[in-house]
Amino acid sequence: MTPSPELTAADRGANSEREWFEDLRLERHAFTIRRTRREGKVVYEWSGEITDPPPLRESGSLDRAQCLEIYRFLLMNRIMEQQLENLYKQGQVVGGVYFGLGQEGNSVASAYALDATDWMAPMIRNQGSLLVRGFAPRDVMMQYMAKAGSPTGGRDGTSHYGDLGPRRMISPISMLGDLIPVMGGICMGERLQGRNVAAMTWIGDGGQSTGVFHEAVNFAAVQNLGLVLVVENNLWAYSTPLNEQTKVADLALRARGYGIPAVVVDGTDVLQVYDACRGAVERAHGGGGPTLIESKLMRMKGHAIHDAAAYVPPELLEFWRRRDPILRFEQYLRQKGWLTAEAQQRLVAEVEQFMLAERAAAEASPMPDGNTALSGVYCEPGCHAVQPRFEAAAPALAAANGGAHLTAVEGDAPHLR
Amino acid sequence: MLLTYVDAIRQALAEEMRRDPAVFLLGEDIGIYGGAFKATAGLVDEFGPARVVDTPLAESAIVGAAIGAAYTGMRPVVEMQFMDFIACCFNQITNFAAKSHYRWGAPVPMVIRGPVGGGVHGGPFHSQNPEMYFAHTPGLKVVEPATARDAYGLLKSAIRDNNPVLFLEHKFLYRRVKEEIAEDGPAIPLGVAAVARPGRDLSVITYGAMVQLALETAQALAAEGVDAEVLDLRTLAPLDRGGIVATAKKTNKVLILHEDTRTGGIAGEITAILQEEAFDDLDAPILRLTSADTPVPFSPPLEAAFLPSAEGLKAALRRLARY
Repeated sequence: MTPSPELTAADRGANSEREWFEDLRLERHAFTIRRTRREGKVVYEWSGEITDPPPLRESGSLDRAQCLEIYRFLLMNRIMEQQLENLYKQGQVVGGVYFGLGQEGNSVASAYALDATDWMAPMIRNQGSLLVRGFAPRDVMMQYMAKAGSPTGGRDGTSHYGDLGPRRMISPISMLGDLIPVMGGICMGERLQGRNVAAMTWIGDGGQSTGVFHEAVNFAAVQNLGLVLVVENNLWAYSTPLNEQTKVADLALRARGYGIPAVVVDGTDVLQVYDACRGAVERAHGGGGPTLIESKLMRMKGHAIHDAAAYVPPELLEFWRRRDPILRFEQYLRQKGWLTAEAQQRLVAEVEQFMLAERAAAEASPMPDGNTALSGVYCEPGCHAVQPRFEAAAPALAAANGGAHLTAVEGDAPHLR
Repeated sequence: MLLTYVDAIRQALAEEMRRDPAVFLLGEDIGIYGGAFKATAGLVDEFGPARVVDTPLAESAIVGAAIGAAYTGMRPVVEMQFMDFIACCFNQITNFAAKSHYRWGAPVPMVIRGPVGGGVHGGPFHSQNPEMYFAHTPGLKVVEPATARDAYGLLKSAIRDNNPVLFLEHKFLYRRVKEEIAEDGPAIPLGVAAVARPGRDLSVITYGAMVQLALETAQALAAEGVDAEVLDLRTLAPLDRGGIVATAKKTNKVLILHEDTRTGGIAGEITAILQEEAFDDLDAPILRLTSADTPVPFSPPLEAAFLPSAEGLKAALRRLARY
């Protein structure tokens, strides 16, 4: 077996003429992780070379203002998680805290590629995406603190909340993979009402092993639904490394099995992530169906705060420390002349101040009244309106939907023609 | 119109789809083929393949897609080809749909309908009664009609409900019962039991295909001077506690009959309700007659031994009447 993560399997040359597989990366991450035995203990061993990353891949579609907005979200994401860690250490958090350290660029840039009318469903490490979608850091904090003011009123924790209103965000559940068919269904429901929308969600290298992942991607492919599925290959599913999860070296290769296009990106390159996701979003808007995007990055902390991740070889962490997505983006902004050192310091100070205020607001929220636990199991008449919004174009779009999988019978998948 | 149970289901689907453009169907082989039991026959011709969606063979994806569509304001109706296969999408139903409104206030107006039950020699994987997995899950509604008219009226209510509803159709009844049903007839509210036969001496509380067995047995016992009341639950979640307690207070003797297996069946729950709310009115121990605690066996003599029988029910009711 080829040890993995060894980024060799995607034969770029052989695939380059195929539209279904695009690789935006500027470097291959050439290292291997192997299980071995050292001084009587089973450990994971690194082999490779700790190199510096190349500059970011120029986007061309993001202007200065957008880049600075993204940068601010990145800072918010990281500084918010620092505050979450403090809250945890001070005993103010109920249960655990999950971090997206090293994955902020992917969370923020992917969500940033969505239009307001698109839908999104975050996974546990995509706390940056919640901020992009319009939730406040205090919402994130109150969820962890199980406060009355949290988006779920204390009924659920972590990033388990959503908004069917203007933020168009679906709450995840803890079982991995189960969001994917739901997001496909969002596209189906919207299309029946006359709109082609994108519905974005994320899955990890671990979650991709679930059966529902397969069912859902296949379903979205056959029904030509605008699913944008970002596979965050962060190399570890809790303590299990990639090569014990799958024999596929590039998780994006799986897209071929479903007849849908795939893109591989360096998940620490904000611009690659944005470009790949924006392309997928636009394909969805055009009725072009689903896209799978593999984002290669590294989970820089444990699975959750209780996990010291001692199983991770230190060289691997050092390799990825040099690929910190925020620092890489900062360098890009500096080189473009879009962010001076002074402006950067001002922005960090401003976000830190903001986060303290958010934290104070979260702390001020009371714990929920125990009696509220008993209501709301069912949607009673009058409590929520279920209101479709049909467009004039609905019948035409719905008919095209019915035709979408008929064309597939005649020849190849539409995107290959 | 004189409609069979399965015709009544098709009629309710068609009328709801005409009434509300948000209603659409998805499932395996429900389009051109019309469904394994023809419950959706012809609907694709009237409503088109976009609203009668033939799906891949993937129960989790089907239910997941229905949940997503429901979040956008649609009212999906999923067909399980056999309700036995609902095990494949258990997580989507119990963890995604059922908890959605409670956790984050997002209603899931979705119906999952399909055939349940035995008596047709379907074997262990085409005969099960999975209601209690779901009646036990807060956030779900569970309906099982016993007549064509109830199938029609309850399905309309299920589709209009803003919660995930499991609509269990007994396949033994599909073509065995028929009733006169008016076009665009009324919906029948969920959570309300029906007295299928009034009686004075004892009560049989039951649902689904067992209602037929109870009615036939009650008829036979009338000749022996035992006047049995038959209460058809129609909905298992929410359970009509008032209707259950009322029949017990009226006849003072209760037998609970269900085709589901014994341990953990709804009979246990009903017994507990009666102990709590009608203890002083009971003149006899509460009896239950159920299927055996085994998988549903295939061969006809084995299945007959597994299912509640007319003879077994008669014997149990005679015993109850003697108190």
